[in-house]
Amino acid sequence: MTVVSAFLVPGSPLPLLRSENPPWSGIASAYRTAGRALAASRPDTILLYSTQWMAVLDELWQARPHLADTHVDENWYEYGDLEYDLNIDVELAQACVAGSKEIGISSKAIDYDKFPIDTGTIVADKFLNPSSRYPLTIAANNLYHSFDDTIRLGEMAVQKATDLGRRVAIVGVGGLSGSIFRHEIDIRSDGIVSAEDDAWNRQMLSSLEAGGDASFPEVCDEFAKGAKADMGFKHCAWIYGALGRKFSGARVHEYGATYGSGAAVVEFKV
Amino acid sequence: MPKGEIVAGFIAPHPPHLVYGENPPQNEPKSQGGWEQLRWAYEKVRAKIDELQPDVILVHSPHWITQLGHHFLGIEHLAGKSVDPIFPNLFRYTYDMNVDVELAEAACQNAKDLGLVSKMMRNPKFRVDYGTITSLHLARPQWDIPVVGLSANNSPYYLTTEEGFEEMDRLGKATRKAIEDLGRRAVVLCSATMSHRHFQEEPDVPEDMSQEHPYSMEMYQWDMKLIDLMRRGEMQKVHDLLPQFVEIAFAEFKAGSFTWMCSAMGYPELPGELLGFGNVIGTGNAVFEWDLTKFGLATPASEWKHSRPFNAGRPSAPSSPLGGGSFGGAGPSIGATAR
Repeated sequence: MTVVSAFLVPGSPLPLLRSENPPWSGIASAYRTAGRALAASRPDTILLYSTQWMAVLDELWQARPHLADTHVDENWYEYGDLEYDLNIDVELAQACVAGSKEIGISSKAIDYDKFPIDTGTIVADKFLNPSSRYPLTIAANNLYHSFDDTIRLGEMAVQKATDLGRRVAIVGVGGLSGSIFRHEIDIRSDGIVSAEDDAWNRQMLSSLEAGGDASFPEVCDEFAKGAKADMGFKHCAWIYGALGRKFSGARVHEYGATYGSGAAVVEFKV
Repeated sequence: MPKGEIVAGFIAPHPPHLVYGENPPQNEPKSQGGWEQLRWAYEKVRAKIDELQPDVILVHSPHWITQLGHHFLGIEHLAGKSVDPIFPNLFRYTYDMNVDVELAEAACQNAKDLGLVSKMMRNPKFRVDYGTITSLHLARPQWDIPVVGLSANNSPYYLTTEEGFEEMDRLGKATRKAIEDLGRRAVVLCSATMSHRHFQEEPDVPEDMSQEHPYSMEMYQWDMKLIDLMRRGEMQKVHDLLPQFVEIAFAEFKAGSFTWMCSAMGYPELPGELLGFGNVIGTGNAVFEWDLTKFGLATPASEWKHSRPFNAGRPSAPSSPLGGGSFGGAGPSIGATAR
C-alpha cells in the first residue's frame, strides 16, 4: 500500500504561535494528535500540498535536499518567527516533475538557497513532523490550476511514489471558509466570521466524514463558492486525487476559527 | 520646518526580469540583458530622482499582501536575501535598506485616524517582498535614500474593486498628510504592472526578446487607451475606467498602488510623461512620471531647504540587524488567565 495516511490541516500560523489561546488550542492539540497518527502510519515520505505556496508559471516541486531558516509571516509577523528544518525527498520530487509533464502540466523543480518556504508548509511540518523525521515532497499551488488539475497532480504523485516503492502520508494544507475579520479582535474571542460560513464549514466536514466518490468534486465546488473557501479548496482536491478519487470517510479531530476563517484538522480513513 | 511635499510620482512596475536583465551585483543570476526599453526608461527615473533630491521614497507593493489592514515597514534597517517565489531563477537579490520609520509611523497613525486598519511591522527578521525591492532598485540602485514600504491590503479582492480603491484613496491622503506634517520631500512609487495577463510558460532563455510580445491585442489596446489618457492628463477618465480595466486586463492596479499614488499627489489632472513601455512575459508595463515641480505644484530642488543635505548619509544601522535569538513577537497576549 502506497498511501498509509492522509490529512487535511490548516495553514494559519496562529495555532502554532499562540497555541495557548483557547480558540486555537483545540486546533493545536488536534494537529499534534494527527502528527501521532501520521507517525504511527510509518510513512517514508510526506506528500504535501500547501495553498500558501503560490505559483503562476508551471507546477513547482521543492527539490532542495535540505532547507533550514527562519520565516516571518507577512501577515502575522507580530506573533513571532517560524523556524523550520525540512528534509526533502528529492528523488520523488524529480519523479513528480517528470510525472506532471506526462499528464500535460508544465513543471519545474525548485532548488535555491533562501527560497521562501510558505507559512502553511512550515506550520504543517512543525505539528505533523516535529523532529523532521520524515522527508517531504512539496507541491505548489499554481493559481491557474483547476480543482481537476490538482486532483490529477495528487493522483500522479501517488503513482510516482508507488513506482519508487514509497509509503506516503498525504497532507493537504489549507483552510475552510476563507473570510477573516477585517478589524482587530480580541483573539480570546475568535470565532467564524459569520453563521453562514460556519454552516458551510460544518456541512463540508459532514461530507468528509461521510466519505466521497465521483460526486465529491461537485460537493467541494459548491462549498468553495458558498464559503469563499481558501484557494477553491484545492488542497482537498490533492487529497482526493491521492486517495484514488474515493474515500470511505474521515475523522474531524477539531474544527475552529483562525481570525474568523474556518480551520479543521481532518484525518481520512485509509 | 517647511511643509513637506510630494515632488513626483512614478508608475514603477516591478517585473524581476528588469533587475535580472541589468545584472547588478546584488542579484545572483546573470543574464544576457533583455527588456532594454523598460530598463532605459528606469534610467530616466534615476536621473529625475537625482535632480529632485528627495528625502524619502515611498513605495506601495502588491507583493506584500496583508489580510488585516494596511501595513508599513517599521524597522530602521532591513537587510537580507529576497528570492522571488515565482521567478527564483531570475531574482535572488541581497538587499540592504534604511526605512524612514518616523514618516511611516505618522502615515500609519493618519490612516487609523481616517478609519483604516493600519499596522507597523516591527519584526526585524521580516523578509521584504520582491515587488518593493525591485521598484526601489530600479528607481534608486544606490539605496542611499530612506524608504517607506506599504503593504497591499487584499480589500479590493475581498470587497469590490471600488470599495478597495476607496480605502486606497484614504491611505493616499494619510500618506500625504504625514509627508506634509514632517516636512519631507518625497517621491512616491506605484509599484504595479498595467495589463497583467501573462504567458503560462517561460522561454528556455528568459531574456530571449523574440518571445516577448503583448499577451493579446485586447490587452495592448487597453494599455494604450489608459496611457493615452495619462499622457493627455485626463486623469479623471483614467480613474473612471480603472474598474473596467482591472476586470478586463486583470490589471495589477487592482492592488491599489496607482490609486494610492494619485490620492497622495492630490489627484493632479496633469499629463504624465511616458518614459517607456514594454511587455514582460506578456504583461504590459509602463514607466510613467508626474514631476510636480514642472507644474509649480512642488518646489524645485534648487529652492528647497533640506533639513539635512541630500544624500548626506544613511541612518546608522543596528550592529546586527538579523542577529540575535528568535523573535518572540509583541503580538497580542492572551493574558495570564488564559494561559
